[in-house]
Amino acid sequence: MSETEISTIGRSVLRKEDHRFITGNGRFTDDINLPGQTYAVFVRSPLPHAEVRAVDTSEAEAAAGVVAVLTGADLAQDELGGLPCGWMITSKDGSEMKQPLHPVMAVDKVNYLGEPVAIVIAETLLEARNAAETVQVDYRELDAVVGADKAQSALQIHAEAPANTCYEWELGEREATEAAFEQASHITSLDLHNNRLIPNAIEPRAAIADYQPGTEELTLYTTSQNPHLARLILAAFVQIAPEHKLRVVSPDVGGGFGSKIMVYSEETATAWACMRIGRPVKWCADRSEAFLADAHGRDHFSHVELALDDEGTFLGLRVKTIANMGAYLSSFASSVPTYLYGTLLAGQYKTPAIYVEVDAVFTNTAPVDAYRGAGRPEASFLIERITTMAAREMDIDPAELRRRNFIQPEDFPYQTPVALEYDTGNYGVSLDKALEMSGYAEFSARQQQSVSSGKLRGIGISCYIEACGIAPSQVAGSLGAGVGLWESGEIRVNPTGNVTVLTGSHSHGQGHETTFAQLVAARFGIPIDDVQVVHGDTARLDFGMGTYGSRSIAVGGSALSVAADKIITKGCKIAAHLMETEAENIDFDQGEFKVSSSNLSKTFQEVAFAAYVPHDYPLDELEPGLTEKAFYDPANFTYPAGCHICEVEIDPDTGCVEIVNFTAVDDFGRIINPMIVEGQVHGGLAQGIGQALLENCVYDDTGQLLTGSYMDYCMPRADDLPSFNVDLTETPCTHNPLGVKGCGEAGAIGSPPAVINAITHAIGIPHMDMPATAEKVWRAIQEKRGA
Amino acid sequence: MELFEELEIALAREEVWAMLVDAEILSQCITGCETVERISETEYTLLLGTSIGPVRARFTGTIELTDLNPPESYTMLGSGKGGVVGFAKGSAKIRLQDRTVAGKTGTLLSCTLAVSVGGKLAQIGSRLVDVAARKLTTDFLSRFVALAEK
Amino acid sequence: MSIDITLTVNGREINTEVSPETTLVQLLREHLLLTGTHVGCDTSQCGACTVHLDGRAVKSCTVLAVQADGSEVTTIEGIAVAGGLHPMQAAFHQCHGLQCGFCTAGMIMSAIDLVTREDDLDEATIRKGLAGNICRCTGYHNIVKAVQMAAGQMEGRGHE
Repeated sequence: MSETEISTIGRSVLRKEDHRFITGNGRFTDDINLPGQTYAVFVRSPLPHAEVRAVDTSEAEAAAGVVAVLTGADLAQDELGGLPCGWMITSKDGSEMKQPLHPVMAVDKVNYLGEPVAIVIAETLLEARNAAETVQVDYRELDAVVGADKAQSALQIHAEAPANTCYEWELGEREATEAAFEQASHITSLDLHNNRLIPNAIEPRAAIADYQPGTEELTLYTTSQNPHLARLILAAFVQIAPEHKLRVVSPDVGGGFGSKIMVYSEETATAWACMRIGRPVKWCADRSEAFLADAHGRDHFSHVELALDDEGTFLGLRVKTIANMGAYLSSFASSVPTYLYGTLLAGQYKTPAIYVEVDAVFTNTAPVDAYRGAGRPEASFLIERITTMAAREMDIDPAELRRRNFIQPEDFPYQTPVALEYDTGNYGVSLDKALEMSGYAEFSARQQQSVSSGKLRGIGISCYIEACGIAPSQVAGSLGAGVGLWESGEIRVNPTGNVTVLTGSHSHGQGHETTFAQLVAARFGIPIDDVQVVHGDTARLDFGMGTYGSRSIAVGGSALSVAADKIITKGCKIAAHLMETEAENIDFDQGEFKVSSSNLSKTFQEVAFAAYVPHDYPLDELEPGLTEKAFYDPANFTYPAGCHICEVEIDPDTGCVEIVNFTAVDDFGRIINPMIVEGQVHGGLAQGIGQALLENCVYDDTGQLLTGSYMDYCMPRADDLPSFNVDLTETPCTHNPLGVKGCGEAGAIGSPPAVINAITHAIGIPHMDMPATAEKVWRAIQEKRGA
Repeated sequence: MELFEELEIALAREEVWAMLVDAEILSQCITGCETVERISETEYTLLLGTSIGPVRARFTGTIELTDLNPPESYTMLGSGKGGVVGFAKGSAKIRLQDRTVAGKTGTLLSCTLAVSVGGKLAQIGSRLVDVAARKLTTDFLSRFVALAEK
Repeated sequence: MSIDITLTVNGREINTEVSPETTLVQLLREHLLLTGTHVGCDTSQCGACTVHLDGRAVKSCTVLAVQADGSEVTTIEGIAVAGGLHPMQAAFHQCHGLQCGFCTAGMIMSAIDLVTREDDLDEATIRKGLAGNICRCTGYHNIVKAVQMAAGQMEGRGHE
């Protein structure tokens, strides 16, 4: 297909951004070098919990090439603020969550392994590294609080958080749920740990800061999913520099998955140090630092109970969760196990009564925050696990039990008992399609075949729902959000008729430069090559909220759609003037402004030119120029949903699990670029399957990180995964102009329970915590055989 | 990590004990030990170069002898800082018993070792600590026996 | 101490001085400003730094620059053929075999090596052959498709 083809919505247009990456011309933060730059290395705590009695930097300061050695005390002297958390959660007793100071670098106490204590800046990276080794920190070791499940009875970490508890939150109707359980003829219950993960974007975090004393402008190039939010936090809370003198640039960013939403110590200290020494400072994490200090994900301990009647109708769901926050509250940590988790517990089902309690706790581990799916994978795992367990206990086919409890198409809009109102969906259609694609009906024949060759075989279903594009801002604000949740879009039609699109969304792999260009090109009827998408620079666009929570197309795309409407409205006025008629008589179609019922027309380019060279132009009623912007604040979340089916074959002698088929049928509403959407699904599935089979962050009892490199933290590799069987259904979102929902996280949300449902089916056990490693599976098989 | 080793030495308990509190002897028995300095009756500082898996480090450490019960038993508490690579801590409980060795009065030396590591050592090398500690211990014991029976 | 080395990088002869601990990837990225090759880990696991050394894929974070003395090095910047992309580059584009683009250079360099070495490239062989390169974005599905497509197009493949 030609990439200049006009109407491209719904087509798999190849990506515009590819060329620079496949030829080695991408520009990532660490690829940027500035004249006179220095290199920063952090001195990190080798202990998870200790008092800092003294930091002796004298030897480091005297070391070869060292420019400066700065500590937490220096930061405190400059009166820099701590790193804030942007969502205030209110406990069930009405009290506000406990938010201990999160210092940019530790001053008198370290609370997690790898917490920065000092920054060493030198002429070369090697000199900075060597000098960092000589910084002497006198620690008094304290017992470390490691597991979230034991945190509430352990040594208190922060003075302001008794029992290491950040908040005790609840949602839903406790009494109605108790009543539902009293009427139940069957109750299924489960205790589980949703395993802790380390995001591992392949580009480590990095920053390079540049300060111009003449203009007092500070520029920070950094690996951020949301440069404007980073600027806002650095200006308003940390107070490094005022917002109008701070520029944050996110150039090409090598994956984020949530871990680059946050404003971290290292980027902040790099920017501050640059101003202190008056020279550019560059810092790039090595992988070991990423393991220690990137915000981790998941880590919930949950008890869940499902009440059913004898027909298998869901009557009530009761959940108690302890969520690990780590040592400090990271940027959006508090919202993950609450508004992104508890609100999703209805799943795709008409469960009439739901009650959830969440205790968030502090531990001496790295901060935990959003990682692909953020709260929704934890919710989905719990619902889809307990549903399958209930089906097996009641001897009902898991697909059938789900079908009996689905919210039906005629029920929309559907108000759940946990705050959300789903606008639309058709869950039966996704389930049916997935059952057919996966050959569900013929499973037992395949199982027989496996058994005859000495293998075990199982199949697992997961019907997930998720919520994208948190909104609207007023509601989020009333629930504690510290920021707005709109997005901005600006369209500049240049005098020659090509178009510059500026979006507040950020692409770090998602392909916005293509999808957003498709969107605008199709609207204007111009070639996609005439559209250039710009993002990731606070100096080039007004403001943006960035990319997370699968919000880009639903919120950022919608903003562009509104801006495009404004361009067309103005264009019609200009065209009407040029053709001596009224704007109501102009139809805009396929790049042309036409006078209805005549053969008069002006091209998009002609109108653009007239706007900038307004010699024949209605200057008394219209400003020159053809640039429009929109700030779009959605009316609701969007609700992507779908059905994932996993089929596994297990070698009982080794416990090795092979995924022999993985089917995903997702409903993302309208699709702009199916190729990119499928790519997002593939990546999400890999991370979800990674969580289910391989990935696990392990701290030992003393708080030392045992899975701190790719030798011990098992990343999914090409030979761990199958090719995926992916398809889509489509019920358009009812409340945004594009009918789109978002697709970035669904794969990671739907897949883990499908995998565990398949493995437990194969072995014939009720549950297995993730990751289902070969050893764990082998032991379960042995135990089952012994029993 | 804990490990237990024992071996026979053809030397009387009192003589073995004297060697066990001799800094010079100890330094010769610890692989990679560059210097040992006695700073009190029961405390020593030492400099040790070693590698655990991919992590290579020079540790500055202290050894303290506690629970001294001559000529029967003591506990050696060691801790070392390896700069950016992290730290290691360990204790070795040494116990001496009379044992007839080659027809003469000799000694049975038993050693219970516990080791924990932190920082980069734990992050990258934790899987290899067992092996390294076992090697350090067996090296120590075999050199000690060699010196004792020389 | 500096050591004088001479090597060919992407067809260009380079004579330079490096310190003994300089890795090949440092030489490429920092001295020669060939920033298309990336560093994604510190244990030689992720493969983002893969380049060709005398025609074979190596992880340039674990090769010393001095080891490349006298050798021929090819990086992602050096594989395009006159007037167009290398078939592997084109296939990654055609098959949407990349998202964030960070692992891509290493992935393409490993894939070219794999196609050059292996005759019979079924899906399992490709997946095994790329197990030394980690991609966090694509789930590998489209990378496998891209390698299959390029294998069909690369001329003169087979054992060297």
